Amino acid sequence: MLPKTRRPLFSKNLLNENVWSLHSLDPLPMNGPDFGSPGEDADLVEVEPQKKQEILENKDVVVQQVHFEGLGRTKDDLVMHEIADVFKAKNLIDVMRKSHEVREKLLRMGVFRQVEVLIDTCEGDDAVANGLDVTFEVKELRRLTGSYNTMVGNNEGSMVLGLKLPNLFGRAEKMTFQFSYGTKETSYGLSFFKPQVGNFERNFSVNLYKVTGQFPWSSLRETDRGISTEISFPIWKTSHTLKWEGVWRELGCLARTASFAIREESGHTLKSSLTHSMVIDSRNSSILPKRGALLKINQELAGYTGGDVSFLKEDFELQLNKQLSWDSVLSTSLWGGMLVPIGDRPSSIADRFYLGGPTSVRGFSMYSIGPQSEGDYLGGEAYWAGGVHLYTPLPFRPGRGGFGDLFRTHFFLNAGNLCNLNYGEGPKAHLRRLAECIRWSYGAGIVLRLGTIARLELNYCIPMGVQSGDRICDGVQFGAGIRFL
Amino acid sequence: MSLVTDAFVSQIAAVEPWPENATIYQPMKSEQVLLSDNASCLAVQAFLRMCNLPVQVVCRANAEYMSPSGKVPFIHVGNQVISELGPIVQFVKAKGHSLSDGLDEVQKAEMKAYMELVNSMLLTAELYIQWCDEATLEEITQPRYSSPYSWPLNYVLVVQKKWEIKRKMKAIGWAGKTLEQVYEDVDQCCQALSQRLGTQPYFFNKQPTELDALVFGHLFTILTTQLTNDELREKVKGYNNLNAFCRRIEQNYFEDHDKDSASGYSTRLTKGPVLP
Repeated sequence: MLPKTRRPLFSKNLLNENVWSLHSLDPLPMNGPDFGSPGEDADLVEVEPQKKQEILENKDVVVQQVHFEGLGRTKDDLVMHEIADVFKAKNLIDVMRKSHEVREKLLRMGVFRQVEVLIDTCEGDDAVANGLDVTFEVKELRRLTGSYNTMVGNNEGSMVLGLKLPNLFGRAEKMTFQFSYGTKETSYGLSFFKPQVGNFERNFSVNLYKVTGQFPWSSLRETDRGISTEISFPIWKTSHTLKWEGVWRELGCLARTASFAIREESGHTLKSSLTHSMVIDSRNSSILPKRGALLKINQELAGYTGGDVSFLKEDFELQLNKQLSWDSVLSTSLWGGMLVPIGDRPSSIADRFYLGGPTSVRGFSMYSIGPQSEGDYLGGEAYWAGGVHLYTPLPFRPGRGGFGDLFRTHFFLNAGNLCNLNYGEGPKAHLRRLAECIRWSYGAGIVLRLGTIARLELNYCIPMGVQSGDRICDGVQFGAGIRFL
Repeated sequence: MSLVTDAFVSQIAAVEPWPENATIYQPMKSEQVLLSDNASCLAVQAFLRMCNLPVQVVCRANAEYMSPSGKVPFIHVGNQVISELGPIVQFVKAKGHSLSDGLDEVQKAEMKAYMELVNSMLLTAELYIQWCDEATLEEITQPRYSSPYSWPLNYVLVVQKKWEIKRKMKAIGWAGKTLEQVYEDVDQCCQALSQRLGTQPYFFNKQPTELDALVFGHLFTILTTQLTNDELREKVKGYNNLNAFCRRIEQNYFEDHDKDSASGYSTRLTKGPVLP
C-alpha cells in the first residue's frame, strides 16, 4: 500500500495500442463540489507503444497489489476506501475503467494536485502469471494555498484575500477562509468541511460568516453575521442537505430617500432556522443541458430553535430538457414558493421572495415585480414562474467544436407572478390571486456558458402583462446568473 | 447630487403646510426607553406642542434603527424623515413655525449656548450613568435596552452600544470621571440654568423657546425616573424654580392637551412620584 520504488512502465509488452486509451473513458460524469478540475489534466496516462505486443484485452487478470506513490500527510485509510473497487476487476478493460474511476474520485476529494495511474504486471516471488499491479502516483496539494484579488463594482472597490487549507488532517478535510475588505463593507467567511472517509458524498460542514449586501431595488442594506452547520448525504438518486443556521441580520436603508416601508424594516433580527433541501439532477450539464431533469425542493422552518423570526418557507425548482433534431433542445422550467409567517409578526423583507430579472422573468428589471412602496420592491410571500426555451446552436455554427459550442441561441417564453396571500382565505382564493395579473414576456437572445457554474445572456425581450409599479426592461437586456428560469 | 436633492426637497417641504398625519417615532415607553432617549423624545414632543403642531406618537422597538441619524426621536412628516431636536427645529422653521423669532441676535446666541450646555452636560451625564455606571447598567440599562431581542442578540447589542458610548466618553474626556464628579457636573449645570431662569416663567420671559423644551425634556425625565439611587434626582430637586418650571410646562402643554402623554411617562416608565 505504501510508496515503493518506482518500476519501469509497461516493462512487459502486454498492451495493445487500440485498447490502451483512457481518453475514450473521459466523458464519465463528473460532478460535485468545486475541487479543482480533473477534466483539464485527464490525459496524463502514459502510453508507451511497444513493438512486440500481446493482446490481453479479453484475458482474465487479477489485481494483486495497488501502490501509492507520493502520499505525505494523507492518511492511508482515506485512499484505501477509494481503491477497493480496483481489486474487483476481472479483466484489463475493467482494471482500466476502475482505475480511471478511482482517479476521478481521488481528484474530486480535493486532496491531490495530480494523479497518474500506472498498470504493470506483477513481479516478485508471489506474482501470479496474470497478476497486475496498479500504481497511483499522486502529488498532494500544498498545506496552504492563498489567493488575492481586487474587485470593482457597485460603486465599491474591494480587496479579497482567500486562504485554503486542503486536506487539513489528512482525511480530505478542508478549511477555507475568505476576507474581503472594501471601501464600504468588510465581509468574511470561514468554513470547515469534512467528508466521511470512503463516502465523499456524505459530508459535514460548518460555516461562520459576515456578509453585507446592498439591494438597490429595495433601497435596502443587509448585514448578516451567522453560523451554519450542514450535513449532506445521498439517498438513492437524490442528494439531501440538512442545515441549521443562526444568523443575526441587520437591515438598514441604503439611502435617506428610501421609502418609509423600508425604514420600518430597519433594525436587528435573529433568525434560527432548520432547512432541508433535496436535489435530483439527471441533467448532463447544469448550464446548457441537452437532456435530463432537475428537481430541487427546499423547506425552511424558522423560529422553533430560537431567534425572533418565525416562518415556514417552501420552494421548488423543476427543469425538464428534451433534445430535438438539429442539436436543438427544448427546455421547460417551473419555480414556485410560499412563505407562511408563524405567529403574529409579519414576515421580514429579508425572508420574502423576489422575482424578475435577466435570468428569471426576462423583460423585467432585477427583482422588480410585485408589491412595492415608492419604488422600493418589498417582495412577496408567494410566487411562481415558468419558462419554455428552445435552444439552438448559433446560426451557421461558427466555431463549431470549439469556442462556438459555448454559445447558444434561444427563444423563450417566460411567465410568473409574485404577490402576498391572505392566509385566512383558503387554497382556492390563493390560486386565484396567483393566476391574476400574470406577468409574461417573450423574446430571443444569445447565451454564453461560463465554465460550469454560470452563464451570460443577451436577450431581446418583450414584456407583457405589466402591472403598475413593475419596472420593465423593454428591448435588450443583459444579465448573468447561476440560477435561471 | 444628494445635497441638491436635499435642498430641493426641503424647498418643497417649506411650501407644504404641516400635515394632519405627522408622526413622532420613539422607543417603547414602558419596557424599552432609556433615560436619555426619553429626555430627547419628551423635548421634541414639548417643542411641537409649544408650536401647536399636532403630532401622533408611535412607539417602535426599532425606532433607533429606523432613524436616519441612529438617534431617537424622529418625525415623519409628509415624505420627510427628520431626527433629533436641532434638525426638527430647523425643519419646523422652514414650515413657518418658530419659537425663537421674537428673540434678538444676542438672545439667540445665548439660547444656543444654553442648549449646548444642556446637551453637553445633562445628556452626557445621563449617558454616563446609563452605560458607564455598572450598577445602573446591570439593573436598568441592560434589561431595558435588550428587551426586544432574543438571546444571544440581547447581549451582543448591549455590549456593542456600551462600547460605542465608552468610546464617546473617552473622546470627550469623561472616561476618567467618577460618578460623584458626574453628579457634581449635573449640579453645576442645574445651577447655571436656575440662575438664568430666575423668577421668569420661561428662559426668555413670557414665551417658551426650544431651550425650554429641551430643558423640560431632560429635567422632567430625571425628576420622574426611578434609577438605582436618588442622587441624580435630588440634585435637580434642589432647585425650586426648575421644579416649578417643569410643572408649569407640564400643566400648560401636556395636561391641557391630553392626560396621556407626559403623565404617561411618570406612571408607566417610572415608579417614582409625579412632580411635587
